[in-house]
Amino acid sequence: MKKVPAEVVGLAWISPWLVGFLAFMLVPAGMSMYYSLTDFPLLESPLWIGADNYARLLTDPDFHLSLRNTVVYAGVVIPLSITVAVILAALLNTRGLRWKRFFEAAIFIPTLMPLVAASMIWMWLFNGQYGLINALISRMLSPLGITGPNWLFETRTAMAAVVIIAVWGVGQAVILFVAALREVPEQLYEAADIDGMGPVRKFFHVTLPMISPMILFNTITLLIGAFQVFVVPFIIFQKDKGGPGRTAYFYTSYLYDNAFVYGQFGYACAMAWVQLLIILSLTGLLFLVSRRLVFYRAG
Amino acid sequence: MTGGRSRPFEGSLTRRAAVGTMAAAGAGFVLFGPRGRAQRTDGRLVLDYWEKWTSHEGAAMQRVVDEFNTSQNRIFVRYFAMAGIDEKTQIAIAGGSPPDIVGLWNYNLPAFAASNAILPLDDLAAPHGVSPSMYAQGVRQVVEFRGRMWAAVNTGGTLALYYNRAQFREVGLNPDQPPRTISELDEASRRLNVTEGRAGLARVGFHPREPGWWGSLWGYQFGGSLYDEQTDTATVDHARNVAAYDWIGSFTRRFGLKEMNDIRSAFASYDSPLNGFLTGKVSMVLQGPWLANVINAYNPGLDYAVAPFPVADDLFDASAPIGLIDTDILVIPRGVKNPEASMEFIAFTQRQEIVERLATVHCKGSPLAASSEAFRTTHPNRGIEVFEAIGRSPRSYRVPPTRTWQKMRDELAVVFDDVWNQTSTAAPALTRAQRRAQQAIDLAAQQEQRRAVERGA
Repeated sequence: MKKVPAEVVGLAWISPWLVGFLAFMLVPAGMSMYYSLTDFPLLESPLWIGADNYARLLTDPDFHLSLRNTVVYAGVVIPLSITVAVILAALLNTRGLRWKRFFEAAIFIPTLMPLVAASMIWMWLFNGQYGLINALISRMLSPLGITGPNWLFETRTAMAAVVIIAVWGVGQAVILFVAALREVPEQLYEAADIDGMGPVRKFFHVTLPMISPMILFNTITLLIGAFQVFVVPFIIFQKDKGGPGRTAYFYTSYLYDNAFVYGQFGYACAMAWVQLLIILSLTGLLFLVSRRLVFYRAG
Repeated sequence: MTGGRSRPFEGSLTRRAAVGTMAAAGAGFVLFGPRGRAQRTDGRLVLDYWEKWTSHEGAAMQRVVDEFNTSQNRIFVRYFAMAGIDEKTQIAIAGGSPPDIVGLWNYNLPAFAASNAILPLDDLAAPHGVSPSMYAQGVRQVVEFRGRMWAAVNTGGTLALYYNRAQFREVGLNPDQPPRTISELDEASRRLNVTEGRAGLARVGFHPREPGWWGSLWGYQFGGSLYDEQTDTATVDHARNVAAYDWIGSFTRRFGLKEMNDIRSAFASYDSPLNGFLTGKVSMVLQGPWLANVINAYNPGLDYAVAPFPVADDLFDASAPIGLIDTDILVIPRGVKNPEASMEFIAFTQRQEIVERLATVHCKGSPLAASSEAFRTTHPNRGIEVFEAIGRSPRSYRVPPTRTWQKMRDELAVVFDDVWNQTSTAAPALTRAQRRAQQAIDLAAQQEQRRAVERGA
C-alpha cells in the first residue's frame, strides 16, 4: 500500500482548522478589503468607488467622535486594569492568605459571565435611585453632603461606568499575573533583602521588571479589547444611544451602525480596516517601547 | 527519514484512509448537515416566515400561521421568531437566501424598497383584494413608497397620551378633561409634580424621556416635519421643530437636570411592574395601545384614560388629532422562489377577523379602515377608540419616508440630548442636525444615482 507523504497527512489532520481559517477568516477578510473599496449598502450589490470610503472618514465627525471616545476609554482602561490586576495578583500571592481559592474564584468569575447578563446587572448597580453603588456612596459619604451621581444619565459619568465594568472583568489578567509572580525567583528577593531594600523598592526593582513581559502581554490584549469595546455600551445605553451626550459612543458602535443600521456596509468595512491599522500600529509601538522597558530572563 | 528527524505521521495513515475519512465527512455533511428549505413529505410547499414576536405575541401569530396551514393543503408556513430581524433580513437577502415572508417595522420600508430588496406588492396583492385603500387613512401612507405598495400591515398602533385619573383628581384636575394643548400639558404637569425635600422629585407630571422611544418626532406635535418627500430634503431645522425642542429643554431648565435624571432612574423598563406610569411616578406618558397589556398584567386597578397627545396651542382640532402611525409590516423579500404563495399567506393575515384577533392579543389597534363593534368593545385597551381615531386622522403621520431615516433619527437624538443636558439651545443644535441629515440624504441620492448609471451602462 502506497504511503501518504507526511505533509499531506499533517495537512489532513489540521484541515478542519485550515478550512475554518480560510472560510471564516481569510476569505471574509479579503472580501471586506474589497467591500471597503465599494459602495455596498448590503441590500444591493457592491459598486467600485476606489478609496472614497477612506477619504470620507477624514471628514466624518462621528468617526472622529467615536475614535476620540475609544482612545480616551483605552487610555484609562488599560493602565487602570493593569494596575488593579497587578495589585490583586500581588495580594493573592501573599503568603498565608486565607480564603485564597475563594478570592481567586471571585476575581476570575466575572470573566466567565456573559457580557449581556453582566451589563444588565451593572445597569441596576449603577441605577441613580435604587443602585447598590449609590446606596453605598450615600451611606459612607452622605454626612459630607455627597451623594452618588446618576451614572448612566450624566455626561461626566457615563464613560466612567463603562470603564468600571471593564476593570471589573480584569480576572484573566490577574490570573496571568499571579502565575508570573510565582515565577519570580526567590533568590532575587533574598538578594534585595541583603541590599536593604524595603517592600516598595523590591516591588519596583524586582517584581515589576520580572513580570514586565506579562505586563506587555496584558497591555496588548487589553489594547485590542479596548479598541473593540462594543457589547457593554450597546446594552447599557440602548435607550440613549451612545450614552448621554454620546460620551460613550465608541468606534465599534459606529462601525456596527454603519454596517447594519445606516446601510453603509462598504464604509463600515473601511472603518474595520482602519481599526485594524490603528491596533497594529499601537501594538507595534508597544513592542518598540518594550525593547527598553521589558525584561526577558535568559534561558 | 532525513537528518535523523522523526516524521511521526508517515505510515500512520494511508491515502485510502485519508480519502475515506474525508469522503465520510463529506457524506455526513450532505446527509445530516444543514437543510435548506424542503418540500414536506405531504408535498406541500414550505414557506419560512420570520417575525419579531416572542412570548404571547409570538404565540398569537403562531396560531394565525396554524390556522392558515389548516385552511388549505398546498402551502405550509413555518414561523421563526428572532431578535434584530431587520439586520438579519438584510444579511439573508444579501446572501441570496431570504425567508419567504418577513415581519419588519414600518420605518424599515423606505430603505428596503429603495434598494429593491423587497418586492412591490401591487400586482401580487390585487388578486387577493389587498390594496392600500383597505387600511385606515393614516395607515395607507405606511405601506406605500414612491407610489407603489410594498407591504401589508398586520398589526398597528398610534401614539396617544395616557394619564392617571386618580392623580388628576388628587391635584384638583378634572380627570375627564385631559390636556389638549402643550400649554395645558405643561400646566397639568407642573401641578402633578411632587417634590420631597432633598430627595428631589418623587413624582413628575410628564417626562419627555419616559419611555423616550420617539424622541425624534416631537416636532410633529408642534406642526413641524422632518422631511419633504417631494424634494428629498430634510426640514429638521423647521421653526416648529425648534419650538418643540425648546419645549424639551424647558423641562430640565424648569425642574433641574439632576432632578429630571434622578426621577428617570426610578422608571425601570417598559414591560415591568416598575414601569414609571404603573408605579405612579409619572402621571402622563406618550405610548401606544400596547401599554394596556402591561397595565392589565401588573396593575389592573390603575385608573387611567387615553387622549390624543396635546399639540401646540394654535393647532388644536378635536376632529383631526395628530399622532404617529407606528405599525408592523409584512414584506416579501427579493429572491424568494414563490412570491405568489407568500402573498397568499399575507392576504390570509389581512382578513378582518384575523387582524382583529391578533390586534386584540397584542393590544394594538386595527390598521383596517373599519373595525368591528365587537373588536372595540372587547379590546383590552379602554382607549382603543382614541387610537383608532388618530389612525383615521388626516393629520396622523409616519416617520419620514427616506432610506436615511435611522441616521436622521440618531442626529435628532443628539439634539434631544443637547437641549436636555443644556449644552446647546434648540436652534443651533437643529441647524447642525439639519446639515448632517441633509448630507446623509445627499449621499444616499448620490449612491442611488451612481447605481442607476451603472445599471444603465
